[in-house]
Amino acid sequence: MSFLAPLFLLGALAIGLPVVFHLIRRSSREQVQFSSLMFLQPSPPRVTKRSRLEHLLLLLLRCIVICLLALGFARPFFQKPMLANSLPETGRKVILLIDTSASMRREGVWAAAVDKAGEVLRKLSPADQVAVFTFDSQVRQLVSFDQWSAMNAGERATLAAGRVAQSSPSWAGTQLGTALITAAEAFTEADKQSRNLAPQRIVLITDLQEGSRLDGLQGYDWPRGMDVQIERIPARRPTNAGLQWVAETDEAAKATTNAGTRIRVSNSANAQREQFQLHWEGVAAALPLDIYVPPGQSRIIGAPKLPNNTVGEQLVLTGDDDTFDNSVYLLRPKAEQISVLFAGNEVETDPAQPLFYLKRAFQQTRQQQVEIVARPGTTDFAPAELAKARLLIATDRLPENQFAAAQAFVGGGGTLLFAAKTAAAAETIGRLAGVDGLSGDEITATNYAMLSLIEFGHPLFAPFSDPRYNDFTKIHFWKYRRLDTTRLPDARVLARFDSGDPALVEIPKGKGRLLVLTSGWQPADSQLALSSKFVPLLYSILDLAGGIHAQVTQFQVGQTVDLTPFGVTPSGSSASTVVKPDGSKVGLAAGETKFSQTDQPGIYTVASTQPPGRFAVNLDPAESRTAPLPIDQLERLGVPLKPREVEWAKQAEHKQQLHAAELENQQKLWRWLTLAAVVVLLVETWLAGWLTRRVGIKAGVAT
Amino acid sequence: MSTPTTSFASTGRSPSAKSFIDPQTLMSIKNLELRARVVVEGFWHGLHRSPYHGFSVEFSEYRQYSPGDDPRYLDWRLYARTDRYFIKKFEDETNLRCHLLVDQSRSMAYGSRGYTKAQYANTLAATLAYFLYLQGDAVGLLTFDEKIRDYLPARHRPGHLRHLMLKLEEPAAGSATDLAAPLQRIIRTVKKRALLVLVSDLLSPIGNLEKNLTALAACGHEVLLFHTLDPAEIEFSFDKPIMFHDVESGRQLFIDPATARKDYLNKLNAHNAAVQSACEGLGVRYLRLGTDRPLELALFDFLRERMQRGKRVKRRA
Repeated sequence: MSFLAPLFLLGALAIGLPVVFHLIRRSSREQVQFSSLMFLQPSPPRVTKRSRLEHLLLLLLRCIVICLLALGFARPFFQKPMLANSLPETGRKVILLIDTSASMRREGVWAAAVDKAGEVLRKLSPADQVAVFTFDSQVRQLVSFDQWSAMNAGERATLAAGRVAQSSPSWAGTQLGTALITAAEAFTEADKQSRNLAPQRIVLITDLQEGSRLDGLQGYDWPRGMDVQIERIPARRPTNAGLQWVAETDEAAKATTNAGTRIRVSNSANAQREQFQLHWEGVAAALPLDIYVPPGQSRIIGAPKLPNNTVGEQLVLTGDDDTFDNSVYLLRPKAEQISVLFAGNEVETDPAQPLFYLKRAFQQTRQQQVEIVARPGTTDFAPAELAKARLLIATDRLPENQFAAAQAFVGGGGTLLFAAKTAAAAETIGRLAGVDGLSGDEITATNYAMLSLIEFGHPLFAPFSDPRYNDFTKIHFWKYRRLDTTRLPDARVLARFDSGDPALVEIPKGKGRLLVLTSGWQPADSQLALSSKFVPLLYSILDLAGGIHAQVTQFQVGQTVDLTPFGVTPSGSSASTVVKPDGSKVGLAAGETKFSQTDQPGIYTVASTQPPGRFAVNLDPAESRTAPLPIDQLERLGVPLKPREVEWAKQAEHKQQLHAAELENQQKLWRWLTLAAVVVLLVETWLAGWLTRRVGIKAGVAT
Repeated sequence: MSTPTTSFASTGRSPSAKSFIDPQTLMSIKNLELRARVVVEGFWHGLHRSPYHGFSVEFSEYRQYSPGDDPRYLDWRLYARTDRYFIKKFEDETNLRCHLLVDQSRSMAYGSRGYTKAQYANTLAATLAYFLYLQGDAVGLLTFDEKIRDYLPARHRPGHLRHLMLKLEEPAAGSATDLAAPLQRIIRTVKKRALLVLVSDLLSPIGNLEKNLTALAACGHEVLLFHTLDPAEIEFSFDKPIMFHDVESGRQLFIDPATARKDYLNKLNAHNAAVQSACEGLGVRYLRLGTDRPLELALFDFLRERMQRGKRVKRRA
């Protein structure tokens, strides 16, 4: 016999109540009159001894009533076998997704992950189809579904576990979101081929650190019937402190040492330690720096001071639990040498001349060192100078020798900025553009002219397109030269004066281009040199001319490095070689400018260029955040985490309950039990009444 | 008196107790007046053997006339015999005015000996009234429970005694005991100095009793208190656990005498001692009276108290 509501059986415990009531004997029937009870206190009822239980039959009947009621409320029924629930018998599809990010290098974590993978593989049934993936910032396939199927059924688990054991954690960051989505799509891909709709599961073996990136999971539409089982590998020491290179301060531009290097040191929230040391590796003369970072906070500090004429490239943090992320490699980028040519008979000390302002506009910065090479009309430009420069600036009519050089320069891909300060310059401009006899008129504005109709969509003016910076009306022009741009082929007017005359014209010529400013920036022509727009505009022109290369020397593990700034050219004929920090050499094919094997932190050297280019590769700072990620964060992002066995078990239980309720509803034993209780209650009432009457008669006889 | 007073009859301390009528026998006489007469006449019968022969509450005298006295009160007969002026003092001035205050609350309707405390108290009051009436004193009656039921002013006239007996024979019907109201009434109505005899079981909180007795004593009244208790109340002679029913409030309590007796007796004795000490402090004569005590002895107690008071008054004079 089973019960639908077995908890009601506890009600049978109430059987103790009639027993206690029978034990309590209080002769409340007899009364005596008394004058006043003001001096009396009620006495507690006296309980008779066990041997003096009276009216045993009555007690028995009352107990039976309570038992019957409790039994009835528990809704008993006779069990009948239910039709067997058909759970899916076909094998599942499982992808084992193993984290090989840098944080798995912590002590004991990788060994535990390999053990866990072996355990998961052994537990799988022979009908299951399995693939094994590893991931860090990229996903790699160790065993595909096809390979698994091709293996001998008895050896599959061992072979796959062996492949997992052969791999090792890398230095890259954790792109958990990408890995999960890749695995889910691998299922979809496999299903397209086999058309098998078996249940799918991703078994994720990871330390699930806080620094895992979950990009892409938000809004990802997970396929139905797929779930993710997370096997978290706990670290022995979950606290950690990490290093991150922040930025170079401007002071560093002038100093030759790494004095201005700033480092962010962050400590995990549950850390026990607060005191750390920072020192330059390999520089014995530099003193280590004691730093204090409270748990859960981060501090940005300057690197320890280096002695003069020494260069440190590796900063090491000591004092925390895990050492895999305690180094940061630093390389100072060298300032780029940029050469700008100026053609014209001008003295650079004369404030009335454009050259005076040009010299002062290009100041030396940390990244660029712009050199203005001015040549008067009588002097020729050297071929090397022309080859090195990307921008040529002219202000007046060019003599023949310089005109030829300029024409060759533009034809070779250079940019010529012609800031015409006289109307006679129009002829040179016309010849450069391939138009003979172009003339210009000298215009003196009534009050002043302003720039209008600026093409902010053009790369030249794009930096000024923000409404905060696009006000050019404060630059007043007193004089300008009117050019007939309709005669110029392919000329594009980038800005006009408020009178409608062109102010800045771009004329493409061959591989290069000609930029014509119809007014000068010297005070006689305009206020341009004195305005805040002048320097950005010049840099914008320099950038447009291809003169500025952003030289980046700091990369993260897994990033692809563009080798062009180091001197590797696509058109180069020789193969280049990159030396990794561990000394191994990687050869690149001729013309290949991308290097993607940044798989370890350290200083990489491009050996094939002269001088050899160097760049530093560091660990993803997120890997230092090793605190465990709350699993519910994954749940919030919609990852289907609940194992389906639990759901199946719940469904089976629910069906069992429904079946039981149905059986109980058919049998309805509670009605009979209630009826029996009523009958016993009637007998009890009759018996109690009879006993009372008998006692009353006896008492009457006695009196 | 710290030890509870039991009766002479029960303790047998007085050898003469045997010669008195047992209260149970006395109470079998239905007529109250007859009971009173039996007691008083029995008392008179043995009086001449008593050491208090010649005592009377009645007293009259002649006083030599002095100028200023009312000539209406001159005794002309004596003047005829002695040729001197004497003032005859009126009996009315010297006669005792006694007020009997009888508790008729429902608690007085309790009795364990075949008669109730109320019957005993009424018989006592009737006895005193009859005795005083025979002496020519004026007797008044006030019966009360939680409020005043009947009031008869103190008189000495034919028929008054009969009237008084009828009032006393009315059954007790009140519920609670409240001494404050009757005592206030007496204070308000009895202006002349009088003897007040209070018969009650005093089964009520004594909070106000002391205050009202103080007011009475301050009015110059002589107060005599008969504290009437049933022997069952004094000894709590119950043996088995039983439901006790309060005759006044109707409250019911299940009480096991074996466990409750000690506590009860302690509280009762403390109550009695408190009443007695309050009375002694106020000059109120306090007599505790078990209902098994012969009424002759109660009358004797009454007279003895009067005599002792007379002595005290003389000493004071």
